[in-house]
Amino acid sequence: MRRKKKILKLMALLLVAMSIIASGMNSVTASAETPYLTYTVDGYGRMEETQTGYLAQDTIIKFGKEFLNGANDMCVTDDGKIYIADTGNARILVGTTDGKLVTTFGTGILKRPMGVFVTEEKHVFVADQNAGAVFEFDESGKVLNTYSKPDSPLYGEGIEFKPLKVIVNKAGMMFIVCESNTNGIVEISPAEGGTFLGYFGTNYASVSLQQIIYRAILTDEQRAKMVSNIPSTPDNLAIDSKGLIYTVTRGDEANTVKKLNIAGANMLRAENYGVYDEAPAAVAVGNHDNIYVASREGYIYEYNDQGEPLYVFGAKDDGTQRVGLSSSLTSIQVGADDSIYVLDSDKNQIQVYRPSEFTQKLHTALNLYAQGKYTESREPLSEVLKMNSMFDYANKAMGRAYYQESNYDEAIRYARLSNDKSGYSDAYWEIRNEWLKANIVKALLFIVGLWILYMVLRTLDRKKKIFDGVRKGKAKIKENRFISNFMYSGYFMRHPIDGSYGIAREGRASWSAPSVILVIFMIEYVINKYLCGFLQKTVREGRYDIGSDIGIIVVVIIALTACNYLICTINEGEGTIKKIYTYFCYSLLPYVVLTPINFVLSHVLTNNEQFLVTLVNVIIYAWVLILAILAIKEVNNYTAKETAKIIFLTIFTILIVALLIFIIYVLWAQVFDFISAVFGEVVYRLGY
Amino acid sequence: MVTKKWRKMVALLTAVTVITASVINVTNYVSAAPADSAETVDTAGGADAAATDNANTTDDKKEEGKEEDTQQVGEDGQVVMDGAVGKVDKSKWITIKNYELMAESDTYKLYFYEPRFSIMLENKQTGKIIESTLSDEKDDGDSNAGWNGRMKSGLDISVIKGIQNTLQADVNSTENTMETTKIDNGFSTKIYFTPYQFGFTVNVTIEGSDLVVTIPDNSIIEEQEGTYISSISVFPFLGYSALDDEEGYMLIPDGNGALINLDNKEGRYVTGFSQMIYGSDPGFVESDTKTYLWEELDMLQDASQVIAPVFGMAHTKDQKGYFAIVEKGEKRASIEAQPNGAMVNYNRCYAKFLIRDLFIQPLNNSNTGTMPRAEEDRTHSDLQVRYMLLSGDDVNYSAMATKYREYLLKNNLLTKKDSSYNTRVDFLGTERENFLLGTRAVTMTTTDDIKDIFGELKNNGVESLLSVYKGWQDGGLYDLPMSKYDADSHIGGNSDLEKLIKDSESSGYKMYLYNDALRLNPSTNTFNFNTIKKINKRAFEEKVWADVYKRFNYLTPESSVEDFTSFVESMNKKELNKVAVAGISDTLFSYSYKSSYFTRNDTADAYTKVLADLDEKADMVLESPNAYLWKSADAFLDMPLGSSDYMYVDEEIPFLSMVLKGTMPMYSNYINFEANKQEFFLQMVEAGVYPSFYLTAENSSKLISTNSADLYSTEYTTYKEAVIDYDKQLRELNAKLGDANIIKHEIKDEGIKVITYSNGVKVYVNYTNSQQIVDGVTVEAMSYSYKAGEAE
Repeated sequence: MRRKKKILKLMALLLVAMSIIASGMNSVTASAETPYLTYTVDGYGRMEETQTGYLAQDTIIKFGKEFLNGANDMCVTDDGKIYIADTGNARILVGTTDGKLVTTFGTGILKRPMGVFVTEEKHVFVADQNAGAVFEFDESGKVLNTYSKPDSPLYGEGIEFKPLKVIVNKAGMMFIVCESNTNGIVEISPAEGGTFLGYFGTNYASVSLQQIIYRAILTDEQRAKMVSNIPSTPDNLAIDSKGLIYTVTRGDEANTVKKLNIAGANMLRAENYGVYDEAPAAVAVGNHDNIYVASREGYIYEYNDQGEPLYVFGAKDDGTQRVGLSSSLTSIQVGADDSIYVLDSDKNQIQVYRPSEFTQKLHTALNLYAQGKYTESREPLSEVLKMNSMFDYANKAMGRAYYQESNYDEAIRYARLSNDKSGYSDAYWEIRNEWLKANIVKALLFIVGLWILYMVLRTLDRKKKIFDGVRKGKAKIKENRFISNFMYSGYFMRHPIDGSYGIAREGRASWSAPSVILVIFMIEYVINKYLCGFLQKTVREGRYDIGSDIGIIVVVIIALTACNYLICTINEGEGTIKKIYTYFCYSLLPYVVLTPINFVLSHVLTNNEQFLVTLVNVIIYAWVLILAILAIKEVNNYTAKETAKIIFLTIFTILIVALLIFIIYVLWAQVFDFISAVFGEVVYRLGY
Repeated sequence: MVTKKWRKMVALLTAVTVITASVINVTNYVSAAPADSAETVDTAGGADAAATDNANTTDDKKEEGKEEDTQQVGEDGQVVMDGAVGKVDKSKWITIKNYELMAESDTYKLYFYEPRFSIMLENKQTGKIIESTLSDEKDDGDSNAGWNGRMKSGLDISVIKGIQNTLQADVNSTENTMETTKIDNGFSTKIYFTPYQFGFTVNVTIEGSDLVVTIPDNSIIEEQEGTYISSISVFPFLGYSALDDEEGYMLIPDGNGALINLDNKEGRYVTGFSQMIYGSDPGFVESDTKTYLWEELDMLQDASQVIAPVFGMAHTKDQKGYFAIVEKGEKRASIEAQPNGAMVNYNRCYAKFLIRDLFIQPLNNSNTGTMPRAEEDRTHSDLQVRYMLLSGDDVNYSAMATKYREYLLKNNLLTKKDSSYNTRVDFLGTERENFLLGTRAVTMTTTDDIKDIFGELKNNGVESLLSVYKGWQDGGLYDLPMSKYDADSHIGGNSDLEKLIKDSESSGYKMYLYNDALRLNPSTNTFNFNTIKKINKRAFEEKVWADVYKRFNYLTPESSVEDFTSFVESMNKKELNKVAVAGISDTLFSYSYKSSYFTRNDTADAYTKVLADLDEKADMVLESPNAYLWKSADAFLDMPLGSSDYMYVDEEIPFLSMVLKGTMPMYSNYINFEANKQEFFLQMVEAGVYPSFYLTAENSSKLISTNSADLYSTEYTTYKEAVIDYDKQLRELNAKLGDANIIKHEIKDEGIKVITYSNGVKVYVNYTNSQQIVDGVTVEAMSYSYKAGEAE
């Protein structure tokens, strides 16, 4: 979705968009109870509104009489205590989830505490940016250890040690996110007062095509001026009970959230449909291995253990000061009862969100499903679907659950709903298998019957000439010029070189016959696009955009014909517009002939046999291409070298024409805008 | 005629040439010169610069704009401004001795102190005094001179000068002349602000225990071109309190009702409640600065609309307060309730009348060139607030609700309707999805389906039902507007629908046809141009994040009225008369149409009139109707049960329900889409509101490619049990309640509510997770219970 967004943006820029960005949902279902909306994503990557997943409940403004000041991190423990890195006050504040003060410590020792982590033994690790160290306190606030910059040469000499966030695993290893350290997460073992173990979970710098081109053509000085392409460092991290480490990295697009195993490899494989944040502030792991991400902008995301998005909710405060809206989130934590705690450094408060009935059911189902208890998960899943039949994650899980129970018809229905292609394929395989088992004999008998019928008819025809009438009629029809031209395309397809000669010299070029082929091509294209088998489908069920499909085909054919003609005429080609139009249209015939096969295949094949469809596709495209190239060569009477040149020039011309049209369009848009401005002013001044 | 037209053409052409030149100038100098001439100012930045310029040169004595006030929260949560003036010396205090007695009723004495335009109300029995301006005694001296002047003035006016609207006027800091005469039960003051050359007359009278403050429309004079009154707040400090000096609360009409306690807010809230009565004005809305997730998802839910023009102040311990009704001019006024810490340390609530506003005039389509302008004419309407003064045991919101109900009934703004219990089950007929080059029907519930469903519900003991049929019309839910009875063939067509309605009526199931009389769908009605334009003469478009229809227009009230009337008449021909009215029931706007301007008053008048005129011909239920339409409504659909969750709100109360219970049946929002169903159920019990479901015979996933893709859970089979169960429980409860009114609503402890009805029935609602015993009645966790009333 994100990539699509970018393309859209580009287009908007190019076209000098005059419209105002759409505002607002008009939703009848909205309940005014929460000031924010909750969305989920469906199998097509479309955001759908859903029931409120989490309700804003309490807001903790102060602990006892102590207020927060620009706090940057917190840690909620299972016994209901909150440890806060109270950055502005340079201390650690410990409170309870109901707003009572337990203790504060670290004043005088800490300079700028940015991160805090509490181990099971209640040791408090604090990442202090300005002190350049990680402090380890015991529960009472006594400093046990101080870990400052590692002296290992592996750390990198010129690199500063400015810890921002810290987590500690069960073995006592510290994983530290440092400011402006691009090597990755610093891993330090507590042995011997802190031993640097290396960098963990390094992100890789990506190189775009644009950058490659730039590098190739720029001078060294220009290259030096370019923004250096360094990998992004994680912004925050969390650890779960199994010791897996979760990171969020801004700008990493689809890989914004990572779940790293001990080797530092990302374990999230599932499609996240572009549901990721552009400014993630914190990540947390829930009680069902679900992942929560808080955005600095106030949005909160929940993913399942595979990284599939479940919810997005929350919003930035629009100045109306409503409970549940945020200004600048810095930390997120999950309580034992699935409540979410988020820390707002701007509002200096902790907002507690409580899961709704809907979410509680979803979590139950999630749990069972993740454990592989598909059948047990069906009950809570159907509860979830009762409350929201468009909740695609549940639809998908439901389909899988039915599959496990061998209820393939239902499995297929749910898979289709949630666009779960592999689930669909599996279930379809089973259904087809059953059908084959039941009908294979009948089908074979039917084929044999057909063959016998054919043989009988053939023998009869030989002896008694029963089909003479039909043959005569056929010959008569063939005399019709249009029909004859139309049939000629078949000859052209099989014998492109001879066929081209016919177009060039034997008057086989016409307008009507190629146009009919073009129309058939369009019809087949549209049918194949919208009505093909589910697994081959690239568009959403129920979505149609036929106008633009046909428009594109027409424009491409016109551009090809016109530009090819322009180039051929100045290069001593022998083609006329009519001839050129004819051969381009005739070249489409392989598609017209073979696509029906593809169409049928797409309805009966599963993912395992998809290569058949791909094969047919390759044949179609290769054939079409060969026909077009040979026709250009033969009809215009070119050599191979000349043909290559002509093809290149034709493509180039098309680009130039497109550019020209675009420039004219932009200029006209300006003129139009100017005229409408004048008109607007007139209307305004005169009050009409 | 011909010559006239010709002249117009010439005028147009000349104007075009002249303006072309200036536009070119404007576009050329966008960045260079902030102001070309006094009037043609381009871009927001330029306007600001010019505005500050103006401010510096024109009025030297002017106080600073709000933005410049900086403040700090001191100890005890006290807010201290920069440049605070300090406390007033005791010898200079203005006290009641300086006030003049102007009138008295059986219960109250009305005193007046002209220099500050300040009144005091003395209760004759208790001797307690309600002040209208900050007294010198209570002045903490923490605010700057500007604010100090405003707080001690009974009038607070914002001024438009040129294209600037941040100027403020009050009787203390702005030069003025006043002329006071005594009238029956009170006094009348003619006030004129000399620097701005505008003025008006304020009439203050005391009628029994009601204080009535009026500014007659014809008394407002504005004599200087370009200088106008933007808004007037009368007695903004009436019944104020400092920090936590008083126990009590302010009542605000947010959602169903909400309270802001008069406790120390410790400077946490920079602003308080400020909402236009009957919602914000689409005629002024600009493509705003909203933020979207990924530039496309709107994550914010709009705050709920103010449905009734009321507010209240209760000092519960001191037993004084008032309940205020904005009686005139309320269609363009806002309710303001500021807790302490919002600029100053005082809690106050008041009505602010908007007289004239600035709007943004775009000069081209890309919206790069804009200029602010003041409206051509001000809104014409008398301005009047009625303060019902409260004392003794009446100082609470239950009494306020009772007083409001009595007021509405007495003034014929509400009539008693049949409020017997029904479960509301709405259906969606057909919707549209894109198909090939056009759209095709997605049929969700046909008349036959409904017949079956009704039969099944009847067999399961659902005695009576109210049902709104949406998407019944030809072309589906969003084929708008509709001007005649014309059912879609996919649901069974005209005769089937007619038969269904008549058959179900005889079995006690009332079916209403849904009609959104406000919206026009430009995709289905291409050649209807009777749509409104905004005040800046740009077409108003309501944009929708959906697949099929992406924008809607609003019909002009004239056109709405015409369509709706002919719709009702064509229904009457089939002897049908039940209509569910939406759109015009809860929307008010200023607009321009064919070179004329119309105000919210015009819009409201048109809607009020058509509904009143058709009252005989049709039974109408209204979707969250604004207060001025209550008298025409047979039922209130979509009654909000919560509030907008403002941080400064301390308690949500079912205020509107307390007012309307027993006089008009109220139906909730759809239960389908509630995440916490049990809590929602309890809220319905608490507020005396009847349940609503939105159902379809087909699975809602069929709607995925339609505009109704947000209806994610509507299938009948899913909700059948819930409908029957809710009906059983609530029918039983409401049989006991009858058409009794709520006379008392109490909040016992956290999460326990007790509601007392006029027939003595008491309802106990327990929102906690443990069993509770109240008044000897056991209430299970997350449940309710009731006790029949003792004989009266």
